[in-house]
Formats: sequence, C-alpha cells, structure tokens
Amino acid sequence: MRDNPDRLAASIVAFCRFARSHGLPVGMHQTLAALEAANIIGISDRQRFSFALRSVLCSSQDEWEQFDQLFDAFWNSERNWSDSQRDRPSHNQVANKHSADSRLLISAESSDARSRDNEGKLVSGASSQQRLKRVDFSGASHTDLAALEHLSLRLLRQMSLRLFRRMKIEAQGDRVDLRRSIRRNISRGGDPFTLAFKGRRKQTKRLVIFLDISGSMNLYSLFLVRFAYALQKHFRRVDTFLFSTSVVEVSDLLRARKLSDALNALSQRAAEWSGGTKIGESLREFNRQRGRKILTRNTFFMILSDGWDTGAPEILAAELCHTRSRVQKLLWLNPLLGLKEYQPITRGMSAALPHVDVFAPAHNLESLLALERYL
Amino acid sequence: MMSLSHNPSLAKEMKDVDALVQEFGSLGYVTDPALATSIYLSMRLRKPLLVEGHAGLGKTEVAKVLAASLDTRLIRLQCYEGLDISSAVYEWNYQKQLLAIKLQEKSDQTVEEKEKHIFSKEFLLERPLLLSIMEEHAAPVLLIDEIDRADEAFEAFLLELLSDFQITVPELGTIKAKHVPHVILTSNRSRELSDALKRRCLYHWIDYPSFEKEMKIVRARLPEVEEKLAMQVVHLVQAVRRLELAKPPGIAETLDCAQAATALGTDQLDVETVEQTLGCLVKSMEDGATLKAAGIQNMLSQSN
Repeated sequence: MRDNPDRLAASIVAFCRFARSHGLPVGMHQTLAALEAANIIGISDRQRFSFALRSVLCSSQDEWEQFDQLFDAFWNSERNWSDSQRDRPSHNQVANKHSADSRLLISAESSDARSRDNEGKLVSGASSQQRLKRVDFSGASHTDLAALEHLSLRLLRQMSLRLFRRMKIEAQGDRVDLRRSIRRNISRGGDPFTLAFKGRRKQTKRLVIFLDISGSMNLYSLFLVRFAYALQKHFRRVDTFLFSTSVVEVSDLLRARKLSDALNALSQRAAEWSGGTKIGESLREFNRQRGRKILTRNTFFMILSDGWDTGAPEILAAELCHTRSRVQKLLWLNPLLGLKEYQPITRGMSAALPHVDVFAPAHNLESLLALERYL
Repeated sequence: MMSLSHNPSLAKEMKDVDALVQEFGSLGYVTDPALATSIYLSMRLRKPLLVEGHAGLGKTEVAKVLAASLDTRLIRLQCYEGLDISSAVYEWNYQKQLLAIKLQEKSDQTVEEKEKHIFSKEFLLERPLLLSIMEEHAAPVLLIDEIDRADEAFEAFLLELLSDFQITVPELGTIKAKHVPHVILTSNRSRELSDALKRRCLYHWIDYPSFEKEMKIVRARLPEVEEKLAMQVVHLVQAVRRLELAKPPGIAETLDCAQAATALGTDQLDVETVEQTLGCLVKSMEDGATLKAAGIQNMLSQSN
C-alpha cells in the first residue's frame, strides 16, 4: 500500500464514507484531517493508525466505543460483515429488535422519524392540530399516535423555549456595571451620576419529576415519559424518577441525546412497569435516599400520578408534607382530572391534596402545555 | 489557516508518538499509545483536543504534563455556569481608569489623547483566553477545563476563537496570535456539547485504566508504596468499579487509598484497613452501603 499513496488515500476516504454510513459524524473536514493524520502517523503500525483515525473521526463516547469494530470491519474487508451492516438503515430499527418491551416504547418514536419525511400528510393543518391537542392520551387511536407524538415533541420544545426566554427577560440587575456606567456619565465628566446595573442571570430552576408507572397509569405513562424528556432539555437540572411500588432513578437515561436511545434504555432499567402503586412508600424511599441532596429551595417537585394508592394514606400525607417543606412548589398532575365526572376522593388523593400547591390535569397535550403558567 | 499551521519557533518539538510517551513518562504521567497518538496529532494538526471521561482519570493532568514537557506556559480557564467575556477574555481596569481621568483633569492634553491613554494596554486586564494568544515566545498550552459547565453562548464565542485565534478589543483593535496555543478541552459530559465545537476538535475518551496501566501509575506516582500493597489496592479498586456505584472511584481515589493504607502502616490490605480508608474510595453514604453489601472480604479474596 505504501507504494501507492493514491490508493491509500482512496481507501481512507472510502473508510470515512463507511464510518459516515454507520452514524459517525464524518464530514469533509474530518476526512481531510484523517488523510493528514495518516500521513503524520504512518500506516506501518496498524494499531497506531487506528488510534489516529479514531481520535479524528469520533466525537463522543458511543462513537469511540463503536469505532474499533468499524475499523476492523473495514480494513479486514470481511465483505460479509460490512455488507450486512451497511444494509441497516438506522439506529432506531436496530433498537427495535431489542425486546418486545422496548418496541412498545419506541414504536411511536420511529414513526415520528417516518413522519418527518411526509410531514405534510400527517400534520395536515391547524384544525387537526387543534383536535390532536385535545385528544385524551388514553383514547388516542393508533393512527393518531404517530401524529400526536410528532406534535407533542414540537409543542413541548416550543414551550420550553418560551420558558427559557421568559427567564432571561426577567433578569434584573443587582451589581453595578462599571463599563456602562462610565459610558452613561461621559457627559458629566466621568463622575458616576447615574449607575448602570449588571444583571445576574436568574438562577434557573431545578425540576424533579416523580412519575407513576403503575398499571392504572398505563395509558398515560408512555406519553408522560416523553413529556419528562422534553422538559429535561430546558431546565438547568431535571431529575426524573419512576415509581410503582419502589423508586428507580432514570435521570441519566433521559439525558441521552436521542429520545429513542433514552426510551430503549428506560425499558431495560425500570423493572416494574404496570405494577401496583405505593406512592407514600415510594416517596419515603426517595426522601430518605435522594431527597436531602436533590430537594432545594429552587426546586419544583412534580408528581405525575392518578392517585390510586394501595399504601397507607397517612404515610403519603406525611411524606408529601416533608417534601413540600423542602421545595419551592409541589405540583401534582393527575390525568384523571380531565374526566368530567372525576372527583379527587380516592383515599390517597384526598390525603394528598392539602399538601399540594398546584393540582392540575395531565391527560392531553393542551393540559401539559398549560403548565407553563406554573413553571 | 495554513500559515498558522507551521510554527517554526516552537520551543520544543516532539519527534513522534514514542518520544511523547517517553517524555510524559519521565514527568510521572503514564500514558498509553492511544492517548499519546491523540495528543501528538492535536499538536501536529493544530487542532484542539477534547478529552472526555469520568472524574478523576487525569483529564486535566494531560494539559499540565503537556505544558511541562513542551516547557511552555500553561494557561488555564476553569469554566463555570455564567462565565462571561469579562472573566474569560478581557476587562478594562475601570477603577484605574477613573483614577487616571481624575489625575489628568488638570493636564492640558486633548480629549483624544486622554482617551487613548486610558484605553491603552496599561489598563487592560487580560483574562486567560486573551493571554493565551498574546504569548510572545512560544505557543502556550491553553486548558479549557470542564467546558460543559459553561453555557452555550460562551461555547459559541469559543468556537470563533478556536478557528481564528484572534480577539478583537474594540478600543484597541484586533489582536492576533503570534503562536497558536495548544488547546486542550475537558468535559465531564454533564451536557452535550454543540456539534460545531466537536467537529472542530480531535476527540479522546479516557476510560478506566486496565490493571497493568493502573499498577504502572501507582508505581510511578507513589514509589514509596510497597508493590504487594499497591497490587492489592489496584485489585480492590478494579473490583469496586464493577459494582455500578453512583461515583465509581477514579485513579485519584486509587492513589488516595494506597497512600492512606501506607500512612496507617499496614503492608497488607484487610477488611479493617479498607473500612478505615473507605472514605478514599467511595464518596457517598449509598455507595458505601453498596460496597459493604457486596462484601469487602469477598472482593479482597478475589484479588489474591
């Protein structure tokens, strides 16, 4: 290969394209850098060569860990392997194969990807959007699901963007900005007459989401997980916990960049989807183990649950009281509140209500978007 | 860009990757060929190197040792939430300017002269980023530590700096780097960095070290620790890392633990010693409980 630098260059370019087709973010810049790197490091030591290309072409841990396999596949030119791999169109579909569980979670997301291609057809106009906004998650038909998913991601993103802007405008100054003060007082010979203030950007809030994944919430929890994911992006910090009879923290999983990755990982961690409900006990477990660290005066604590509790209501009341004393606001979102005939008189719910700052519905997109007011 | 990439007056040049491994080794930093290749390429390609990895694995150390081995200055910018231009790039020394205006009041200089005076370099407070491009003699090492803590706006500014290596101060004009600094960025992955920034950088992921590498590090950094004890500590730490703790111990913790055990005067790691030095290994109550539940004796005996 050394005799023929053109052929080597061509192979490296081909490898870059190969890497790109497997999801590495390789552009023109990286390809050029790869050529230059090969030139500097040389190709006599195969391992060094792979290190060099890896450091040029990767830009995250996932890619880093995937790289060796790609490298071997290409340069060993085991055509079978690479061809079969090349056929795979996207991560989503691979993820789909993992388990039945994750398929359930992911189906809506991959159809979201599909819907991006023919956006016009699925989201046909304002009127259908309006209708979808009011569709109760539990009653959404299968055809609606994809569109609803698409719409929800978009709207939730908008909402969090608005939240973000509002916080910026609110910022009021509390320190003197010398630079601007001098400028403003030039006409007075530099004597500081009127002062300009420098605003410290307001401390963004923290949010703790406590999501019920018990059987009675089945119809809603899949959507509410997505809601949690969307919120995640625009708070300084969001900690998310799933509970049924015990608590699982999933904040780290939801921080994945792609929703499909997050959901996939989620289905593997939370063991108790659709189990029973022990809100009080779960909350106590949370307060004991993580509460002290996570709950602060600028935290919003958001419980997403229907309030069907099989545990003792006294425990729930006591734990809620405790939680509330540590946070700024305690919100309870109840999907059932969307039903006209619903009264919050289940034992759990009535024990909880005195300790809740905001009690709001969470059965459709519109109700989730309305939350903006409280956050 | 091309004119920047050739830098004849480099104080010291690394010949190749092996030379770099050796040079780093002589400074007490054990590096593997993979990391050395990344560092070497970043110097040769003149691209910033983004180093990611868990806490306590020596990310920051890379820049420090690089500066020492090149015999140049290390300029460090610690990022934090709310980091702004005036603490990262430059600021005028307002108090001094005000004083100067007062002092000049009686002089018969024109307004222009006065203005020129108070906006001269004498009144400029250089912050790390400006400093890094003002170096006169050799390219410094610029360490931008924990870039993930700074906000997006700052990241965008940094992007501009990293492509042009020039900074414009409105009152002074544009300052262009004489020597393009070697830039090392570190991140703890607390948030995703922008694609544009990543595209501009070479990347290196530092993983937990293998047993052999960790042994080498302990031997290099703590020559006073007995080999047998060092081996036990490293075995233990490697076992602890497999436990899925909230904060798995890094190399820093290994070194602490080995040092603590030596300080206690033991040459053999037993359950009692481990319990006494538990604070070196795990940094929260929950992790401590997990570790104890897994059985310290168990893990120690595995290692023998």
